Amino acid sequence: MHPIFRLVNRNLTISLNMGFVIWQVIFPVIYIFVAGFAYTALIHNVPFGQKNLDYPAFIASGMIGFNIMNSTLISGIIIWNDRRHGMFEQILVGPFTRAQYILSNVYTIGIIGLFSAGLITAIGYPLFFKSVEFNLLTVPLVVFASITGAILFGSIASIISTRLKSSEGFNVIINTVFLFFAFVSTAFYPAQGAPPILGTAFYLNPLTYLVDVVRAGIFGNFTGTVGYEMIVLVVAAAVLFGIATKLLSKLEI
Amino acid sequence: MYCIEAKSLSKSYGNVTAVDSIDLSVESGKIFGFLGPNGAGKTTTIKLLTTLIPTSSGTINILGIDASRDPLGVRKKIGVVLQQPSYEPNLTVEKSLEKYGMMWDVDQKTRRKRVEELLSAFDLKDIRKKKNDDISIGQRRRVQVAREFMHDMDLLFLDEPTVGLDPSARRGLLDYIKGKVRDGLTIFFTTHILEEAEYLCDEIAIINHGKIIAIDTPEELKNKFGREKTIKIHIGNVENLSSILQGVGSYEISRDEGTVITIHSADSEQVLVKILQVLNSNNIPVDDLSVVPTSLEEIFLTVVKNSDTNSGVKT
Repeated sequence: MHPIFRLVNRNLTISLNMGFVIWQVIFPVIYIFVAGFAYTALIHNVPFGQKNLDYPAFIASGMIGFNIMNSTLISGIIIWNDRRHGMFEQILVGPFTRAQYILSNVYTIGIIGLFSAGLITAIGYPLFFKSVEFNLLTVPLVVFASITGAILFGSIASIISTRLKSSEGFNVIINTVFLFFAFVSTAFYPAQGAPPILGTAFYLNPLTYLVDVVRAGIFGNFTGTVGYEMIVLVVAAAVLFGIATKLLSKLEI
Repeated sequence: MYCIEAKSLSKSYGNVTAVDSIDLSVESGKIFGFLGPNGAGKTTTIKLLTTLIPTSSGTINILGIDASRDPLGVRKKIGVVLQQPSYEPNLTVEKSLEKYGMMWDVDQKTRRKRVEELLSAFDLKDIRKKKNDDISIGQRRRVQVAREFMHDMDLLFLDEPTVGLDPSARRGLLDYIKGKVRDGLTIFFTTHILEEAEYLCDEIAIINHGKIIAIDTPEELKNKFGREKTIKIHIGNVENLSSILQGVGSYEISRDEGTVITIHSADSEQVLVKILQVLNSNNIPVDDLSVVPTSLEEIFLTVVKNSDTNSGVKT
């Protein structure tokens, strides 16, 4: 087996435990079914392209992006734990290069991102099936968003994990950054109608672009704006991945 | 044939020289002990030899491979147990071994067989289903060392592998290592426990301030640096012993149950003869007489002290 796949195998073994899977399901289910129905009284419909989505369908589709982001925390946690528990050095004195270690993390987060997207699509489908418009772009757009989003947020988590030295610092920063990403985005509510500053902040957040692409795929609303958002995602993912790789390759032993 | 050849090997961090132009040659099929005080450069040397960090200067050849040209080629043929603990906290002991074998591309059938062998050899059977996070530091260290034997290798670096192990586990590990060397493995071994080095090593190098200050077999090191013998003479309680023995040479008197005269010098035999003559002429009977063999620990302390004195370091 290729060294990268051996490392991916190991990454998945140490990451995918029952606790993680439950966490991956419980969080979005609460948001989709509790927040989704509770807020329906306040938010009746959300305009989306030519459609009006009901709020549960809106939030369920937003949760796909949210879950991709959440799952890629794994990347940062793998690197963080490897450093903390001595496995980073141990792997690097084994039959692996740093490049292989980095790529194995990318593949791992890609797999976990796709897994999370699939999971939430399955859970949320009953809520948005009325509005779904399957077409040739649906699957490619959701897969594109899963992989690009996984690399982008995985790189951010990796950057944080390479820069910090204390567990407390790592947890505080990761939680703060990801809290901002989660709630200052269009995952939970539409940008239209939000105060202008908040609306602008939404579009400084890559999760907004990720969620827009996912919704465009699910609800058949691919526009020029979505095309630009995809380019932004690719560029941001490439730049952040480059920075993460550089930091990881320079990480002192 | 040498499986490690390092020439003029140096490593500096800014103005600090951790390893200072050392030469090393380690013969295949031997256990090479690498000793030194804390911060002497042992771990840095291991990191250089295992290609974990780049050299500042010098050359390293491991198992016939130029380490600077093909570090991955080197790493594929060696095993390394680093000084710091390394483990996957949420894996069980047996899963840790199994996954480590998988990472080294060992086939499944061999992995299963080796897991069972190592669980027995390292006395881990009772904790095979426990997670690494839930076992003691000593047990975790045993897993870390055992794990390295999941894969085939020609050369194994062990950086203080017995830290945290109880005496029985330590002896078990040392004997296991000896067995592996009989099968052809070469070991590069660092420790602070000098009895271990004496028990295990065919050749020993002592490093201090980044420089190799002595290198030889344990016996030759004793011959070279162990000229100072320790002789103990046990007698009953005698008043004015110091004045009786005045002028016979260098010795120390300690009083516990009876009196012990300890001679520790390069000319211990001559001092002994003089003391026995004085005791005899004063009708003082000798209860017991013993010669304490020179230990590697004494050699180590002597060599390091000489090195510190020569380099102007206060000890």
